[in-house]
Amino acid sequence: MGVSSPAFSPQHSQRQQQHFSSLDDKPQFPGASAEFIDKLEFIQPNVISGIPIYRVMDRQGQIINPSEDPHLPQEKVLKFYKTMTLLNTMDRILYESQRQGRISFYMTNYGEEGTHVGSAAALDNTDLVFGQYREAGVLMYRNYPLELFMAQCYGNVSDLGKGRQMPVHYGCRERHFVTISSPLATQIPQAVGAAYAAKRANANRVIICYFGEGAASEGDAHAGFNFAATLECPIIFFCRNNGYAISTPTSEQYRGDGIAARGPGYGILSIRVDGNDVFAVYNATKEARRRAVAENQPFLIEAMTYRIGHHSTSDDSSAYRSVDEVNYWDKQDHPISRLRQYLQSRGWWDDEQEKAWRKQSRRKVMEAFEQAERKLKPSPSLLFSDVYQEMPTQLRKQQESLARHLQTYGEHYPLDHFEK
Amino acid sequence: MGMAATAATAGRLLRLRAAGTEGPWRRLRAAGLPRGFLQPASADGDAAQRRQVAHFTFQPDPEPLEYGQTQKMNLFQAVTSALDNSLAKDPTAVIFGEDVAFGGVFRCTVGLRDKYGKDRVFNTPLCEQGIVGFGIGIAVAGATAIAEIQFADYIFPAFDQIVNEAAKYRYRSGDLFNCGSLTIRSPWGCVGHGALYHSQSPEAFFAHCPGIKVVIPRSPFQAKGLLLSCIEDKNPCIFFEPKILYRAAVEQVPIEPYNIPLSQAEVIQEGSDVTLVAWGTQVHVIREVASMAHEKLGVSCEVIDLRTIIPWDVDTVCKEECFLNLEAPISRVCGYDTPFPHIFEPFYIPDKWKCYDALRKMINY
Repeated sequence: MGVSSPAFSPQHSQRQQQHFSSLDDKPQFPGASAEFIDKLEFIQPNVISGIPIYRVMDRQGQIINPSEDPHLPQEKVLKFYKTMTLLNTMDRILYESQRQGRISFYMTNYGEEGTHVGSAAALDNTDLVFGQYREAGVLMYRNYPLELFMAQCYGNVSDLGKGRQMPVHYGCRERHFVTISSPLATQIPQAVGAAYAAKRANANRVIICYFGEGAASEGDAHAGFNFAATLECPIIFFCRNNGYAISTPTSEQYRGDGIAARGPGYGILSIRVDGNDVFAVYNATKEARRRAVAENQPFLIEAMTYRIGHHSTSDDSSAYRSVDEVNYWDKQDHPISRLRQYLQSRGWWDDEQEKAWRKQSRRKVMEAFEQAERKLKPSPSLLFSDVYQEMPTQLRKQQESLARHLQTYGEHYPLDHFEK
Repeated sequence: MGMAATAATAGRLLRLRAAGTEGPWRRLRAAGLPRGFLQPASADGDAAQRRQVAHFTFQPDPEPLEYGQTQKMNLFQAVTSALDNSLAKDPTAVIFGEDVAFGGVFRCTVGLRDKYGKDRVFNTPLCEQGIVGFGIGIAVAGATAIAEIQFADYIFPAFDQIVNEAAKYRYRSGDLFNCGSLTIRSPWGCVGHGALYHSQSPEAFFAHCPGIKVVIPRSPFQAKGLLLSCIEDKNPCIFFEPKILYRAAVEQVPIEPYNIPLSQAEVIQEGSDVTLVAWGTQVHVIREVASMAHEKLGVSCEVIDLRTIIPWDVDTVCKEECFLNLEAPISRVCGYDTPFPHIFEPFYIPDKWKCYDALRKMINY
């Protein structure tokens, strides 16, 4: 494959239908624009020296090339830091609450906070987000309150989703974050459709679509990439390559040069970035956004990172990877510590502020958590609504039959925890 | 089948795609073969060799008077008319799928790209899961998406997007998001020679999937009104179009838009002894069975076109209480539990003789 330029190349990736001329010795095939060659040679996929990884900070949070420093103001960078650490704190508490049987399920974001915050910060607030399930930091950056994260995990009366889905399946219309669904990669072609509609509406909006390197193996990913390119859609495909799909390492997920290398195959401008470097993620997303909207074409960003936590509360990753490996990422290449070192070296943060913030953020999370736990669940009648926009007659009859059933058999149901 | 019949059969669908070219004849000429080299089929027609005649007779409904001026249209023209009305009325509406740009393999989208522009009527890559996923996304963004799946037989790659995503979008999000402005259209049902992969009627796979609507018209007039209702309905809909009726069904259809309600079956003939329920092409089969029953058995049949498969019109068709009123068990007459065969189609389909026989047994129960 041998892609020479790691950054987005200047030209628009559009295939022109070439002019047919029966007089030329040049190839006339409609399917490719290329010259003839008389030497038999297979193109070698370049996996040893793959697409290089763009970064701005080194592992100690120092800017490597000053011209790449986005020079973000203190307030903004502090927001990055506080969002990532608040997310980390919320993850710890909710993970623990599942262990204690308080919520049924949870997925942490450990190690990937940089991918969420760096990309979210580079978007407009009205850009539509399609996620997979490990992008809570994007929603948190958009100021989704702790109360609502907790409400969804607890399925209580405050849950915007009305208690219908498992924990971490967040959604928020107001913050332009499409509700998460469990099937993997289904959001990819959907995001492309939304981008097409945004283009038609001259909305000046980009759609961003997050997915993991595992989900990228699904047919829907292929479908999404191809449609985005052929239909010229303003979309950012953001792949979180965190090394594992549950227990499946990348060596068993693909044999090519990751996900970034697939982009050019579809005619998509692509880049690979250090996902644990929040500024690299920010810069790449910012530039992709600018060009996607201006030029109506898709961009692919593969953010290399590491999933420090287990896949979910149903997983124990010690079964398939070493503690040493996990510790390396936790201690030596973590988006939060790298940013903290940057902040400290700028004089924007210190140990005292760190201590105070840890206490404060923990208290905020605990308060939201305790309140969420105390709230009732929604009325069982909400089991029946929103299947269609209007409730069909037969469903109304079923709703009525449940109500009658509960009148006689209510003692066998946890009605005390539910609103009437 | 004779050579000429084979060539005609094979060329039929190809011919539609190669609109305006000379298709098979050009290739024969290039091969140095004169046009008339094929032996003509025998004059008195060897019945065993000739292609099967259709198993039904399309019965047009009387000209509708309440919707303004009408025009003679076949089923694909009625579909085009509905799509034309939709794109005229709704500036966000777009039509997409394989080969829709040049007019579609069944000519349902002829003229629409020229009229409304290439950003509104466009081809997609060959990928059904992408077509439906993309359509869902357009609808989620608030625009009207009209997706075409070239044959209902090819809807299965999109099954996950339809069942796991489209159907559940509103419910799972607590009504924060929905894809109600999505309609999927697809040619459906047996056509005489379609075999396994150009004949399927897959509505049963979707019939128990809450959140979507599945609609099947019996005629051009029904098709236009039902399709318009699907497009305007605030829930994702699948509209299956009986392909055997595309050209065979012709009747007067209003030029202006009109709606036929979803989830309402139509009693097209009153009767007191037996109820016959069907949808799509089969409605014309059972209409004929009803008159056969009347003539030969003196039996009075009620004929119902279900029209919407899900959510279906339970009240019109039957009541739970009617179990005690039945004088015979309910009979289902369908294709056999095999994939749809090619050469055996005449034996496979639930034709009027099989329906009549079931009715006769029911009367004599």
